[in-house]
Amino acid sequence: MLFSSIPFLFYFLPIVILLYFAVPNKFRNAVLLLSSLFFYGWGEPRFLFFMIISIIQGYVFGLLIEKHKGTKRSKVFLTASVVLSLGLLGYCKYADFFIENFNVLTGLSVPLLGIALPIGISFYTFQILSYAVDVYRGDVPAQRNFITLAAYIAMFPQLIAGPIVRYSDVAKQLENRTHSFEKASEGIRRFVIGFSKKILLANTLGELVATFKASDDKSVLFYWLYALAYMLHVYFDFSGYSDMAIGLGKIFGFDFMENFNYPYISGSITEFWRRWHMSLGSWFRDYLYIPMGGNRVSTPRWLFNILVVWMATGFWHGAAWNFVLWGLMFAVLLTIEKLFLMKGLKKLKVLNHIYVLFFVCFSFVLFDSLSISEAAQSMGAMLGAGKIPLMSAETLYYLKSYSVLLIAGIVGATPLCPALVKKVQKTNWGAVIVNIAEPLVLLTLLVVCTAYLIDGSFNPFLYFRF
Amino acid sequence: MSAKIKNIILVVLCAVFLFSFPIWGLIKPDAEISKSERRPLQKIPVVSVENIMSGKFMTDFESYTLDHFPMRDNFRTLKSYTAFYAFRQQDNNDIYIAEGYASKLEYPLNKDSASHATDRFRYVYDTYLEGNTGNIYLSIVPDKNFFLAEKNGYLSIDYNALISQVTEDMPYAQYIDITNKLDIADYYTTDSHWKQEEIIPVAQHLAENMGVTLKSEYTQEKVDTPFYGVYAGQSALPLKPDTITILKNDYTENYKVYDFETDSYIPVYDKEKLNGNDPYEIYLAGPKSLLVIENPQAETDKELIIFRDSFTSSLAPLLCEGYAKVTLVDIRYLSPEMLSHFITFDKQDVLFMYSTSVLNNSVTIK
Repeated sequence: MLFSSIPFLFYFLPIVILLYFAVPNKFRNAVLLLSSLFFYGWGEPRFLFFMIISIIQGYVFGLLIEKHKGTKRSKVFLTASVVLSLGLLGYCKYADFFIENFNVLTGLSVPLLGIALPIGISFYTFQILSYAVDVYRGDVPAQRNFITLAAYIAMFPQLIAGPIVRYSDVAKQLENRTHSFEKASEGIRRFVIGFSKKILLANTLGELVATFKASDDKSVLFYWLYALAYMLHVYFDFSGYSDMAIGLGKIFGFDFMENFNYPYISGSITEFWRRWHMSLGSWFRDYLYIPMGGNRVSTPRWLFNILVVWMATGFWHGAAWNFVLWGLMFAVLLTIEKLFLMKGLKKLKVLNHIYVLFFVCFSFVLFDSLSISEAAQSMGAMLGAGKIPLMSAETLYYLKSYSVLLIAGIVGATPLCPALVKKVQKTNWGAVIVNIAEPLVLLTLLVVCTAYLIDGSFNPFLYFRF
Repeated sequence: MSAKIKNIILVVLCAVFLFSFPIWGLIKPDAEISKSERRPLQKIPVVSVENIMSGKFMTDFESYTLDHFPMRDNFRTLKSYTAFYAFRQQDNNDIYIAEGYASKLEYPLNKDSASHATDRFRYVYDTYLEGNTGNIYLSIVPDKNFFLAEKNGYLSIDYNALISQVTEDMPYAQYIDITNKLDIADYYTTDSHWKQEEIIPVAQHLAENMGVTLKSEYTQEKVDTPFYGVYAGQSALPLKPDTITILKNDYTENYKVYDFETDSYIPVYDKEKLNGNDPYEIYLAGPKSLLVIENPQAETDKELIIFRDSFTSSLAPLLCEGYAKVTLVDIRYLSPEMLSHFITFDKQDVLFMYSTSVLNNSVTIK
């Protein structure tokens, strides 16, 4: 089930909220678990099997790791849990990729498995991995209540698109959390903002991307228009979903970590990755980069660590070479920055932003391509090597048709609006005006987004495949 | 207003919105069809293990909730307004408004589609017409975009290229150009079709080029039912309705229209259709695979076969004056392979008459 759908918004969510607040505190995790399993099973009931297996192994191995803490067995159980988690992820997500490449290398024709990717498996697998490692490290006690752990892993607000919530961050909230009008209001505000980002910006700009791809009348300008639209589409799609997840979490009393912090205003690629998909970046830092030695090793080993982490980051996004190359591209850029560029970038005021946007823009063209050759062709066309006209009537039409949305997207990708609201709030009358306007604006956005949902069928969610 | 009150108001407003609409949806009776979109609405899906395991139940339930959402048409209108006026988008779901006319973008030029159409026409020619007929004509009806799109900054196909391709692919047919007999005022504002009362010059031009004369005058009868054309529903904007006018004279009053589908005679102007989904179906009862119009008052024994789309429904009653019999064939509903079961090709004149929009989207031609 998608957050941005009528069944979720007008049927599932109201019923779950009613049930959740109708039962005593001690049953609320059970309500969350059951509703999450229903939410997950709604799209693909057969994938519930994978999730339940993952939850059971996480629960059992968590207890065993803790029981045998300090012994070799603890490490064996941790290894078993990690192998099971990654094995399931590898089987569902990467098996065909490896078979395809094996076939190419050997000339054999091993048949593909053709396994459909269970929704959100990359997210909940990483949550289980972090739980098992944290228990092994002694950072958190193993959860003895199966329902509590299962509710954490399966929790629908963050199940299919993150943020990757670590058990250590919500362990206390799983046992005891507070609910209030203030928190619910904060959650609704966050949800509606995310919902609007997804429906009004991500989906409509996604239509422009789809139009570009279907066009036979491409031009250099159309390629750039596509690249800009896709950059904004990805950002608003994913950050919109994260906002909705964080907002829903607040309604149910949780505080999930932030996942995006205006990444497109970054002055370096290093900063970009501190602002983009922060829960994934910090996950790889804490569970892969630092255990490998981080930067407290020899320079060659450090470079190797960076390479591995960013290859893994790319591979996490999809089982295809363009994703691996996408990760490696950032590995190269980050290495160059750390070794040579960082000091210079800090001194710049405008060029550093142009540099970041240029490479991020090209990186997303690579990200969106079905193959490396398609990516090369698109990038070549953007640089004028595509033997296509500079512009066309179709390009100008869509530039005109989407100009307001593109401007809204560009402004929305900066902290300009929140800063403006804060400034207004600081004045005497401003605070009153904001307090009156906020509920009305949010309700209007909710109504308009509902209108878009009812009218349109273009509502795919990009990060499903992760 | 304090922040505390603001929080309470926000929670209450959103709760009322999210809780009231599903309850309203459950209470209100389900409609069978959407009049504005001219389509049947999704029925509530059947709960079964098979449907649930295959995901069909969930997909159908989502369609059901979308189709039966309370105030659905109002929400669609709100979306339209937002797209047009807040986001300044040029079109909404490919529908645009220019010079007071609603139209649907026809873009890009689909040469393969035009080729498919002319391939099927070639099949008809090779199988039935070569050596068996009189004169063969071709005429192409320009859609509204021909007059509106480019002029108003909307995407437009290269109509000259389309017409050239079709005429070149049909060397066996004499092309009759009617584009200079039309302008945008000859079309409905809310529908894709032309107005019958405005196409007398088109009928006369065609007749003249096909060697017949149309002399008679018509009396106009305006029907009372407001005509909300296909784009009124698709645009979801509150457009003013058109008026349907039918042209009558002694000839039309005496035509006998035989419908092969129902094996019965039907009226030239079927007023019962005004209450249906598409009032334009008043002309020759709308989409029909095979009709024959007999003209008892004809002063000639000439016959005409028209391979056609819906534009001809309002034109044929005017053309028929010059013929003893006009056969209307729509090969979108009747496979050309079946024609010999119904039609004896015997020196009749033949007119291929298709609109640019059908030629550019000819997948429905069998």
